[in-house]
Amino acid sequence: MTALTPAQLDALSELGNIGASHAATSLSQMLMGQIEMTVPSVEIVDLADIYKHVTDEVSALAIFEMQGEIEKGGYVIFLMPLHSAIRMTNTMLGMTDEDREINEMDESALNEIGNIMVSAFLDATAELLGIVMLPSPPVLVVDMGHAAIQQLLVEVACDVNEVVFFHTKLVCDQYAINGDLLMLPEINTLSQILEMMDKLLNAHC
Amino acid sequence: MDSNHPRTDPRAIVIGIGDYHVGTEPMTSIGLGSCIGLILHDTRLGIGGMAHIMLPESGGKRDRPGKYADTAVEILLKDLLKKGCTPKTLQAKLVGGAQMFANFSGNLSIGLRNVEAIKELLKKSGISIKGEDIGGSKGRTVYYCPAEGFKVRIRRADGNCLDL
Repeated sequence: MTALTPAQLDALSELGNIGASHAATSLSQMLMGQIEMTVPSVEIVDLADIYKHVTDEVSALAIFEMQGEIEKGGYVIFLMPLHSAIRMTNTMLGMTDEDREINEMDESALNEIGNIMVSAFLDATAELLGIVMLPSPPVLVVDMGHAAIQQLLVEVACDVNEVVFFHTKLVCDQYAINGDLLMLPEINTLSQILEMMDKLLNAHC
Repeated sequence: MDSNHPRTDPRAIVIGIGDYHVGTEPMTSIGLGSCIGLILHDTRLGIGGMAHIMLPESGGKRDRPGKYADTAVEILLKDLLKKGCTPKTLQAKLVGGAQMFANFSGNLSIGLRNVEAIKELLKKSGISIKGEDIGGSKGRTVYYCPAEGFKVRIRRADGNCLDL
């Protein structure tokens, strides 16, 4: 599991960069505002350290399973702190009341936004790999970020103590909105992706 | 934010997923979903332990004792007995075990399976359960300071706090 070479981590990071850039662009179009994206990080994270990456702040998470021409496995998640999520729906729907509970309309907007972003993310990465990857229908969770991710880890990290954690932050200063795009590939999916990337790299050398 | 807020104690040792700790220091597990925060406390000595348990059975794996119910109960007990505790003076509290959303794989109620496994093991070891805040569909953060007696503070995802 820990045997990812620096070159492989680089390649994954680049793959994630392409995916996240497309996701950020689609968010920027939907918000009609500028989105800043951090350099995506790809890290091998110990389960016991997940809390350093995802806090217990209450957030809205749109969760997608990765499907398509890969072994089923892993998740792509768009996570927004609750206030950001409400500001985002407000921005898109022309509302101003920030001091309110999250409602069904917010949730369905978040599902839709997440769906568009994650589709863009998977499309771009899959195209590079020459395969088809699709998101499952979303599951929307409004809860502590760590608690929701933890339940996904039960699926991904039953037999392992470390996960490959892909993370990039998206920020829109104009509307004070921020969110995180996360990917948690299952170990089989990851090795499949790495294999495809190795072939790609060798073909170009 | 009230001063009892679990996050406000910077000295607290954070017990991450699959981790455990035994001692007198304040401890916390943040964002428990289907995981269980198992706390064992010795009323006589003012020490205790916490494990952040993820799965009900180790199936023989020993590399991460805090991760599984069977190995976690075993290692907490072993470390506490080493410090002079006895099963008679030890009490347990359980926090977590929520089902936050329908899993993609249909792997239902892992949280409740965790709870069942832990209760069974505690019973076998003769440790009484003093309190629990389990199940439901919301995440929880738990804080415990052995020196202050067996008080466990819980903050739920909806913002409500309670003392167990």
